[in-house]
Amino acid sequence: MIRAFGLCLLALPAVAQEVPRFVEETASAGLTHSYSGDWEYMVGGGVAVFDCTGDDRPEVFMAGGAAPAGFWRNDSPTGGALTLTVQTSGLELTGVTGAYPLDVDSDGITDLALLRVGEDVLMRGLGDCRFQRANEAWGFDGGDAWSTAFAATWETGQEFPTLAIGTYIDRTQEAFPWGNCTDNHLHRPAGRGYGTRVPLTPSYCTLSLLFTDWNASGRKSLRVSNDREYYKGGQEQMWHLPTGDAPRLYTEAEGWKRLRIWGMGIASTDLNADGYPEFYLTSMADHKLQTLVAPAPGTTPDYSDVAWARGVTAHRPFVGDDPRPSTGWHAQFADVNNDTRADLFVAKGNVWDMPDFALADPNNLLLQGPDGVFVEVADKAGTASMQPSRGAAVVDLNADGALDLVVVNRNAPAQVWRNAGPVGNWVRLALSQPGPNPTAIGAFVEVQSGDRRQRHEVTVGGGHASGIWGPQHFGLGAADKAQVRVIWPDGHISGWQEVTANQTVVVDR
Amino acid sequence: MNRRSFVGFGGAALAGLALPRPALAAADPAPVLRNWYRLVLELVRHTATYSPPVASRAFGYLGVAAWEALASCRTDTVSLAGQLTGLTALPTCDPALAYDPSAILNATLSRAVAAFFGNTGPTGQRAMQAMARQMGSGLDALPADVLARSESHGQAIAEHIIAWSMTDGGAVVENMGFPMEYVLTDGPAHWVPTSLIRQQQTPLLPDWHKNRPFALPAGNTCALPPPPAYSEAAGSAFHAEAMEVYTTSRSLTEEQKTIARFWSDDPMLSPTPPGHWVEIVLQIIDRDRLDALRSADIMARLGVAMADAFIGCWQAKFAHDLLRPVTYIHRVIDPKWEPLLITPPFPEYPSGHSTLSGAAATVLTATFGADFAFADATHEADGLAARSFPSFWAAAEEAAISRLYGGIHFRAAIDRGLDQGRCIGDHAVRLRTLA
Repeated sequence: MIRAFGLCLLALPAVAQEVPRFVEETASAGLTHSYSGDWEYMVGGGVAVFDCTGDDRPEVFMAGGAAPAGFWRNDSPTGGALTLTVQTSGLELTGVTGAYPLDVDSDGITDLALLRVGEDVLMRGLGDCRFQRANEAWGFDGGDAWSTAFAATWETGQEFPTLAIGTYIDRTQEAFPWGNCTDNHLHRPAGRGYGTRVPLTPSYCTLSLLFTDWNASGRKSLRVSNDREYYKGGQEQMWHLPTGDAPRLYTEAEGWKRLRIWGMGIASTDLNADGYPEFYLTSMADHKLQTLVAPAPGTTPDYSDVAWARGVTAHRPFVGDDPRPSTGWHAQFADVNNDTRADLFVAKGNVWDMPDFALADPNNLLLQGPDGVFVEVADKAGTASMQPSRGAAVVDLNADGALDLVVVNRNAPAQVWRNAGPVGNWVRLALSQPGPNPTAIGAFVEVQSGDRRQRHEVTVGGGHASGIWGPQHFGLGAADKAQVRVIWPDGHISGWQEVTANQTVVVDR
Repeated sequence: MNRRSFVGFGGAALAGLALPRPALAAADPAPVLRNWYRLVLELVRHTATYSPPVASRAFGYLGVAAWEALASCRTDTVSLAGQLTGLTALPTCDPALAYDPSAILNATLSRAVAAFFGNTGPTGQRAMQAMARQMGSGLDALPADVLARSESHGQAIAEHIIAWSMTDGGAVVENMGFPMEYVLTDGPAHWVPTSLIRQQQTPLLPDWHKNRPFALPAGNTCALPPPPAYSEAAGSAFHAEAMEVYTTSRSLTEEQKTIARFWSDDPMLSPTPPGHWVEIVLQIIDRDRLDALRSADIMARLGVAMADAFIGCWQAKFAHDLLRPVTYIHRVIDPKWEPLLITPPFPEYPSGHSTLSGAAATVLTATFGADFAFADATHEADGLAARSFPSFWAAAEEAAISRLYGGIHFRAAIDRGLDQGRCIGDHAVRLRTLA
């Protein structure tokens, strides 16, 4: 069943491949914030974006590092100037490195997982954008580590989601921190709460996690991106997640190939809608874009790197006079001009005065062309910030169908841009199913418009310490209608249904 | 024969033969030396600029600095000033005053490591500060004037070494050593990029051979004959070398794979090849409880030999500018072949690890003897088991052949590389350290 939600806007003219103009509205929007702190906060700096007022305009939460985190109610008028108002939410903890919104207890109210230097905290949404600590109520062991990554999935038959939390360095090791990565953990549910957390050993200083059905098997695996700066004997990882059984690593015998990068963020999307997502891995110097060598049932996790061929190595600043290699953090695929092709945003910024890497390192905005090659447009679009960026979200803040941009910077002011277009038509799809996991995390959403098919995996996790909770956004180009279908988390496939462009639609199971 | 330099350096004999200045404190400098070197190995691994040639340069200067720090207040040792190119006389101790060797060494290494690893990231900076504090805390019991005087002297030695290093041509490394522009040599025999990494489309440090050597008279002092003439004809010497790489790679034993990975020593994922040899020496120092003076002597010679090895090797690499096996094999034999190891981004002939290992084995054999057995646990933390060797040359030869198993070098580069290393190492062996 399809339900329209919110206002149906006038169709915008489709202007494929035109570069949208982003207008920075940080000051006028009322956003004053900085992710700050010393060594323990050189990574992290996440933003969580979710609607807790029910007006289809998501609110913004930002990690503060050593300073308190901040929450902003979104009062932006439709299509108008961005307007963010600081509001006390209960989320204003110190030590927060990142945050991911999700509905842990399936009560229809968004909760938050706060990653921290110290104890991680699950914050239960109470409604009206108020939150309270729920570690004890849900039996969640927040540990005492330097947490830097998060992902969630619903395993079959469970009332609560399975959570994965990635951690970084043993912060007590001052002179020899290298080789001292602390354990990541898997928090599996036990009824309406959590049992004893399971260490994901070995762990290699993780900066991004993502549950994904990478091989269209109907089962989720856990991809782990690790920072080679600190591990010994480590590599990128992927875990099997067998129901009721202990997680186990994919092995070389299964086709997993060793890759060792400064793994900092994972973005994924199915660039060619073949049912097998591509994975973009941020790093230092060259970034990676992985596509399966043999995308077919029963395939092995053997990926080739097509970053250069697709124009997304993003290995050094594309503007300015700093020739040194880049440092990439958050990455997100999103169709910023609504031309039906996923574009790519990459947050960039020096770790902390590292002379071997660019200090003036602009964020990337790479538009995907009809040939699948991405072209840098951040300078033309106005988003090429030189601040030391970390987390980010590409998300529609003013409900006009044009994806806006919010970026967290380390020891520098956060920034927000309004996408002033031009953009094509669009549709946003919110999934709804009865019982646990009401928003169908783990589903695939397919949209067909003309000869273009798009496919999103609905995930919680990835990026760099940053998450978005809300409908799936699809650009439609010139099309004023589209066919949509959902492959629900249990494998049930809904029939194709027609939707009208330029509105948010609820797809009921 | 330089081994005579070490007579009397064994721990018990030190007090009798060495002639320290008055009132030298009894604190053992050996832990200072070992701990700083352990940190340096981590910094090499975790500082992006530190490709193997750059690492070798740091080991050269740090070894000389450590030696000068420990030798400068003694009457039974000889400075390397005047023996190493461009190294002028270093600050000396006042014979009437007391100094503490641990404090001198800690001050020297604190300053020198900070200078040579100024490019390291925030974690490395933090670790260097922590190490300086930890090593310094052991000196609190010294009289204040002795401590201050010793630290001042140690810092002065470091500054002298740093100033010397700034004029060698290798002090500034941009873009992790990859030039922004580079013109490839025309012709099928010559190197072309082998990597899909955008940064590595120019060769690493093509001007490194122009750096001032330490003990080697010139970068081309140990120049090599050319490799077999390039040919794509079956039966030619060049084709035969490529076929050896190809066929070997397709039938690697588990032991050969282990050897290839053990000596892979990838930059940023290991202490690099020169760091591997330093790590071997550190293990021997620990095992045999070598005193600080002897340890510093070894580190100075080894560092000098390895730094010169990369200068000499790079001179040959860019003089001959030979293509890598993966390029030739894709072109002539099998377009889908892939080597076990990642092909390094610079010309093939000779093998850097072979030249380096030949130089290291030459120095260490002169120091410890031809049949000195040891175990090498360098990569245990990375999950690679220790390997045992009956001699340094056995280890060097295994390091060299590992490049063929890894599919990144032809036979000639390995054999001639070892020859070149032997030639270069001899210059470090001839350095005088004892009066």
